Amino acid sequence: MNRWILHTLALAWAGGLGFSLLAMALLAVWPGMAAAEAVSPASVKQGSLFMREAEDGQVREAPLLDTRVEMEITGILARVRVNQEFHNITNRWQEGIYVFPLPEDAAVDHMRLWIGERFIEGEIRTREQARQEYEQARDAGRQASLVEQERPNMFTTSVANIPPGASVRVEIEYQQNVRYDAGLFSLRFPMVVGPRYIPGVPVQDSEKSVGGGMGWARNTDEVPDAARVTPPVDLGEGRPDNAVSLNIRLHAGLPLSFVDSPYHPVTVREVADGEYQVELEQGSTPANRDFVLNWQFAPGTDTSAAWFTETYQDYYYGLLMLVPPPVEKLPRSPAREVILVVDVSGSMEGDSIIQAKQALELALKRLGPDDRFNIIRFNHDAYSLYPASVPVTEANRTRALAWVRGLRADGGTEMRKAMALALDGSTHHGLLRQVVFLTDGDVGNETALFQVIEDKLGDSRLFTVGIGSAPNGYFMSRAAEHGRGSYTYIGDVAEVGEKMQRLFLQLESPALTDIHLDWGQKVEQWPQTVPDLYAGEPVLVAVRSEQPLDGVALSGNAGDQVWSQRLRTAAGEERPGLHVLWARRYIRYLMGQEMSGKVADWKQRIQAVALEHHLVSRFTSLVAVDKTPARPVEEMLESRPVPTALPKGWSANALFGRLPQTATPADFYLLLGILGLLTSLLLYRRRA
Amino acid sequence: MRKFLLAGLLLASTLSFGQGVWIHAKALLAQYLIADAWQQRLQGVEKARPWPWADTWPVARLEAPALGIRQYVLAGATGRTLAFGPGQVSGSAIPGYEGNSVISGHRDTHFRWLRGLKAGDELRLQRPDGRLRRYRVQGTAVVDEQDTRILRQDGRTVLHLVTCYPFDALVPGGPLRYVVTAAPVVGEQVF
Repeated sequence: MNRWILHTLALAWAGGLGFSLLAMALLAVWPGMAAAEAVSPASVKQGSLFMREAEDGQVREAPLLDTRVEMEITGILARVRVNQEFHNITNRWQEGIYVFPLPEDAAVDHMRLWIGERFIEGEIRTREQARQEYEQARDAGRQASLVEQERPNMFTTSVANIPPGASVRVEIEYQQNVRYDAGLFSLRFPMVVGPRYIPGVPVQDSEKSVGGGMGWARNTDEVPDAARVTPPVDLGEGRPDNAVSLNIRLHAGLPLSFVDSPYHPVTVREVADGEYQVELEQGSTPANRDFVLNWQFAPGTDTSAAWFTETYQDYYYGLLMLVPPPVEKLPRSPAREVILVVDVSGSMEGDSIIQAKQALELALKRLGPDDRFNIIRFNHDAYSLYPASVPVTEANRTRALAWVRGLRADGGTEMRKAMALALDGSTHHGLLRQVVFLTDGDVGNETALFQVIEDKLGDSRLFTVGIGSAPNGYFMSRAAEHGRGSYTYIGDVAEVGEKMQRLFLQLESPALTDIHLDWGQKVEQWPQTVPDLYAGEPVLVAVRSEQPLDGVALSGNAGDQVWSQRLRTAAGEERPGLHVLWARRYIRYLMGQEMSGKVADWKQRIQAVALEHHLVSRFTSLVAVDKTPARPVEEMLESRPVPTALPKGWSANALFGRLPQTATPADFYLLLGILGLLTSLLLYRRRA
Repeated sequence: MRKFLLAGLLLASTLSFGQGVWIHAKALLAQYLIADAWQQRLQGVEKARPWPWADTWPVARLEAPALGIRQYVLAGATGRTLAFGPGQVSGSAIPGYEGNSVISGHRDTHFRWLRGLKAGDELRLQRPDGRLRRYRVQGTAVVDEQDTRILRQDGRTVLHLVTCYPFDALVPGGPLRYVVTAAPVVGEQVF
């Protein structure tokens, strides 16, 4: 009898296995069949959404895209024209949709829709209105284009009614300023939309979180990056669907010691004195890697100040870049007190706590002999290693390292206690107090936290470090902004070393703190509070005033001494388009100012500024509509997203945006079960 | 030998059937536990977990009065979550608040009723603060799973319900999604 049971069980197991295998095989084959028989219901509006109808089994092709970039760089300003040419290679009418990155300080103020040799100038509208105009034109068969901002560094171009076998070109223009760091000028043209951004610039992560400054984002404690703004990715081999060519005119005015691109081979020609022409060596490149151009002036050239002005609609605008003397020429830099705060709550379990420990060890090892330090760990409670900061001695350091290695992730998260313990609310003369806050940002009550920061910050600087896959970037970057520090995001264990190295290097070389600019009159200046300068960094501000600006006095603290400089700005170089840079910074400030309950007001303020300056923003878009219809209305229009290339070095298996998978195999199992039971019954009866 | 084969087939079929029943039972029973968690949430408990080892929690209550539907929306739309209830797609707005909320659910369990929705139908969302917000269905559409445009936050307040399509496909994994778009009833205070 026992043997019978055993045999039955073994067979049942084998049978179950067989069934599972059969089920799996069916599952593998079925989706294809399901897709093939899927027919769109009549209620679906054609052209409004991507559809994969399989009427003739043909592969639907997305429009191909060629991007041509022309840059004019003068001093620290760059005017960039991006031409996106959509080729429809099918014999049907198409709508092309392309999600693409731009530098995050890019002020997009012009768009033109080119149809053959004529063009239609894009108009600035509120986002809803722009979309309405575009959709109306699209459905009426007219050619139209729309440029919308998804995030400050991510935009979408839509082009309606590209004729079969023909092309439509969209020209987008933006203004940005050149970066300067330790004598090196650089300009970046991003080419890839990746779930996480290519390193290279301090990421302004206020927009990385969900919705950026939107009111409803406050309660969100999970912040995924990829899903919402990830366009389909071209995983195929062969011709890249999106090729980019670059043509850069660099008006340096003075001889340069070098011009180069670190990632793309370029040819550089000096076409006139101090004027350079830069092109890609190979003509074009697949858009899978950000383009960076670096240049440096010949030694001895004074690049310590730049000033540009513009008069626009009764206001005077100015952009100032000022480089303080090198650290050695400044009075002694201040001593530092470094407070390391680490989240050891349960949510840090796994990779996050490993990353945090690595970061802390690195920080401890880099501390200098004159510094003081302390470490705080927190979950639902907060403890500090030492009652008060201690000098960096070998013994203290060793003890701290051992303490860090013993950290374990457990318990809830109560960030307020930790923040209150880390910030002491006082001013420290001649001492720079830097608080480094490492967390995965599982923030519950942000308002209360901001209150603690406001009340207890004193003159401490707050540097936030977000680890793990989903820190609350919105909270982290706002907190750093409040705390006059910066926010670093680490998404991958492999990045810990590099990113923390860069942060600590910066923390170690403060040049000027508490910087104040006096313009001699009332101005609107962005950023309002000039951040601390670390070695090699310039002051960069945009101002607007009612009277002409003739000078500015800059003062700041270098250690325990005051450093100041006056600059006459009467002879500023007039430069059109400067006001958009000012407006862009103003909007950035406004985006961070949402007030709960007054979302409509806040949105309107941003729209007003953007409309006044003809600027694309989260709430305003550029739209261009042709007057004459192109597509006979009775012909169908199909929509196709243009796939973007994978970032160089990325694996195709990376997770990209999909809508959730929403079906269970329950019915399938039920059916299999019933079939099996019926079969058994039949067999049994035959036997009987 | 035939006896064993028969017994094996019987057991395997029962297991398979049981598996199917279990999926449906889980989907049904979990909603009762989640209902309790939602009561806690309404009383101010954040992340009220329906059972101690849950990695999700209710974020809203979704109702379709005309169809007699009342369901609890969970945080996150992963496979693990969706077995127990419709899920708020991470990164979309919290249902009932400003912004674009995207809720997805299984077409064969919780969100089977989506096929019965038509333009003009009313939907209601109860938020954690107890308030109700009313929505009207604007339309339905079938989209490809790669079409993530409905996930975009573009400043509009809108509700998207997503499930797999076609509804009666036997096996999961198809590329099509059924999307119901609803907008808040204009000019109405949240009550």
